[in-house]
Amino acid sequence: MTGSSPLRARAVWLERNRSRISLLAALLVVFVASFAGIERDEWFSVLMQGLSVGALTFLVASGLSLIFGLMDVLNLAHGELFMVGAYVGWTVYTRFDTALDVSVPILVVAAPFALGPWWGVLARRVPPARRRAVAGLALAAGAAVTMVAVTRFPLVIWSAEDFARSPSNFSVQVGLGTLAPLPPDVFTWPPGVAFASAAAGGALLAIGTALVGRGGAVRASRFGWCVGMLAAAVTLWAAREPIVQWVFGLSTTWRFFLAVAIAVGMGAALGVFIEVALIRPLYDRPLYHLMVTLGVGFIIVQAVRDIWGRPEFTMARPAAFDGTGPGCPGEGLSGFFSGCSTVELLGSRLRVYNEGFVILVGVVVLVAVTWLLKRTRIGMIIRAGVQDREMVEALGIDVRRVFTRVFALGSALAALGGVLAAPSIGLGTGMGAAFLLSAIVALAVGGLTSFPGAAAGAVLVGLLQQVVIRFGQSGIALPFLEEPFKPSPSLVPAAAILLMVVVLVVLPSGLFGRGER
Amino acid sequence: MSLLAVGGVHTFIGPYHILEDVSFEVEEGEIVALLGRNGAGKTTTLKTILGLAPARSGSVVLAGEDITGLPTFEIASRGIGYVPEHRAIFSELSVEENLRIAERRKGDFEARARMIFDVFPDLERLCDLPGSNLSGGQQQMLAVARALVPENRLLLIDEPSEGLAPVLVEQMMEAIRRLSAETTVLLVEQNFLVASRLAVRYVIIEEGRTVHRGRMADLVDDPETIRRYLGAA
Repeated sequence: MTGSSPLRARAVWLERNRSRISLLAALLVVFVASFAGIERDEWFSVLMQGLSVGALTFLVASGLSLIFGLMDVLNLAHGELFMVGAYVGWTVYTRFDTALDVSVPILVVAAPFALGPWWGVLARRVPPARRRAVAGLALAAGAAVTMVAVTRFPLVIWSAEDFARSPSNFSVQVGLGTLAPLPPDVFTWPPGVAFASAAAGGALLAIGTALVGRGGAVRASRFGWCVGMLAAAVTLWAAREPIVQWVFGLSTTWRFFLAVAIAVGMGAALGVFIEVALIRPLYDRPLYHLMVTLGVGFIIVQAVRDIWGRPEFTMARPAAFDGTGPGCPGEGLSGFFSGCSTVELLGSRLRVYNEGFVILVGVVVLVAVTWLLKRTRIGMIIRAGVQDREMVEALGIDVRRVFTRVFALGSALAALGGVLAAPSIGLGTGMGAAFLLSAIVALAVGGLTSFPGAAAGAVLVGLLQQVVIRFGQSGIALPFLEEPFKPSPSLVPAAAILLMVVVLVVLPSGLFGRGER
Repeated sequence: MSLLAVGGVHTFIGPYHILEDVSFEVEEGEIVALLGRNGAGKTTTLKTILGLAPARSGSVVLAGEDITGLPTFEIASRGIGYVPEHRAIFSELSVEENLRIAERRKGDFEARARMIFDVFPDLERLCDLPGSNLSGGQQQMLAVARALVPENRLLLIDEPSEGLAPVLVEQMMEAIRRLSAETTVLLVEQNFLVASRLAVRYVIIEEGRTVHRGRMADLVDDPETIRRYLGAA
């Protein structure tokens, strides 16, 4: 830096970013041209739909990018965490009684895990040579005991075969306001025995996990957490009726926000579990992460199929975004707050939830995570760790603990995306894979470890997909074809891949990525 | 009791046996130079002390406490600062963030900023710039400054003069000399002239073994040893 003038600096910057600028210009031209081909009263809604899908993609891509950047783990189960968010959110929103019934055994099984450090001490007493065998035994016994014990709890559950009790029917009933709580089921074991055996199963699983892991440093035991979780389980069970009545009495808007909170919490908890139990033991073997997370993804998909059934269904939109009747649709920007389900803006009709709320949440998350990265100590550690993990550790910082938190954050964001997607694009067991693909393309386009890049890539992918879908309806008039060319639905993901190929050919490290050092 | 005692350390990196019996001690308050040819295992020795390349056998003892096999962050938080080779600063972080990230307790940076900016006046001026905008010499200063933010008992400094212009080498040496007044330094240095002017004692590593050690003043008068282990001085 020897006294270069600002003008010269700008010239150098232009020179260095020449291919980036020309690529962005080319993409802009393509998008403007394609929007020009859409009817005037429709281009704006296609644009906003693209941003909406882009926002959902961003919620998946952001976590994927943080996790990949910091830990070099490409979490192939990330799309399924998105899906879990959607299904958990749907359950809390639609069938809170079932969600409550299920959460009781889950809390009881999870409670012993809070004693993690304590199990670690116990695990270290086992001679190293036998640890593997004891761990396998404990995990197998734990799984068996847990499975048997959990099914003894009262679980009001729907049935995918019986239409009256199917998820899709429940969704319809919520929309009509006719959904009623189901009567409580009964314990098939005495409650005390069921509680004790579920806790024992959880303890065995926790011991097994501690034996598999390296059992890091002993920190303060979370005894309070363990007791708190058990107390919460007993309270939920004992006070089931009043709680269910109260939640069913809430407006669907409040129930929706409750669903968002619980789905996000579930996502974070699942993320912590995956990182600690499955990924942490494998940090020395990078390729195994791909296989483990891929396998976890398959397991989650199958579990979702078994629990919620294969048919796709949607979640009823919460009341605040579902108004109709006089005064609707809303007009202009203020129409977004009118409580109507749609709004007229710039000659297009937009859905307040899809094209308003979802985009807003995407922007808020972008700002919030950027703030976290730029202004907090953990963000500083993440940015430093993306570049040089060893050096961060050599400064005396426990990077592994940061890993767990980042994994939890990323999973929570994916689950948030899922629960937001439930009322807009609906629930299906293929949604995870579809969004994972979009998110990976978004990362490659934006630059693998760049957070703003993930946002830009997600928006590009979302826009592109919506444009292709739009042209699938109207067709593109091509000079050498007699009929207009209508892209088929399978060309939607293909277009995203094509975008990735074009970007990577011009800029091998993506739009915002830095070259390999 | 010496501050650091490395005893019979063997370290593997992948399948390669890099350290094949390294032993030496560092006394409180001195500067010790780790000498040897390229690839002799000097950097690996520093990494082994820090647990970045854990020893397969042998022991590393810091002030009487065996730290062999502890995770790196725990070793570092016992008071070891590390200045890696190639100016490994965080280029995405600003100069101030590069210093703040090294805090072990809140307020470390504020407490030590005066002293650090006294030693490296350039850095104060550059505080808000991203690390990537710094020149090579400034990055090296920053890497050393970063190791000074928490109170360290021992600094491991790897090739501080590498690739620096002569005037910057002088500045760097001055800085290290000032540091040694309050902490102990284990220095890896290719440039024998620099090492001989800084260190009180030396340890020579060849092919992963400690083969020679003594007082620097004696080594300077021993061209035979210098030629044999370090090549032409």
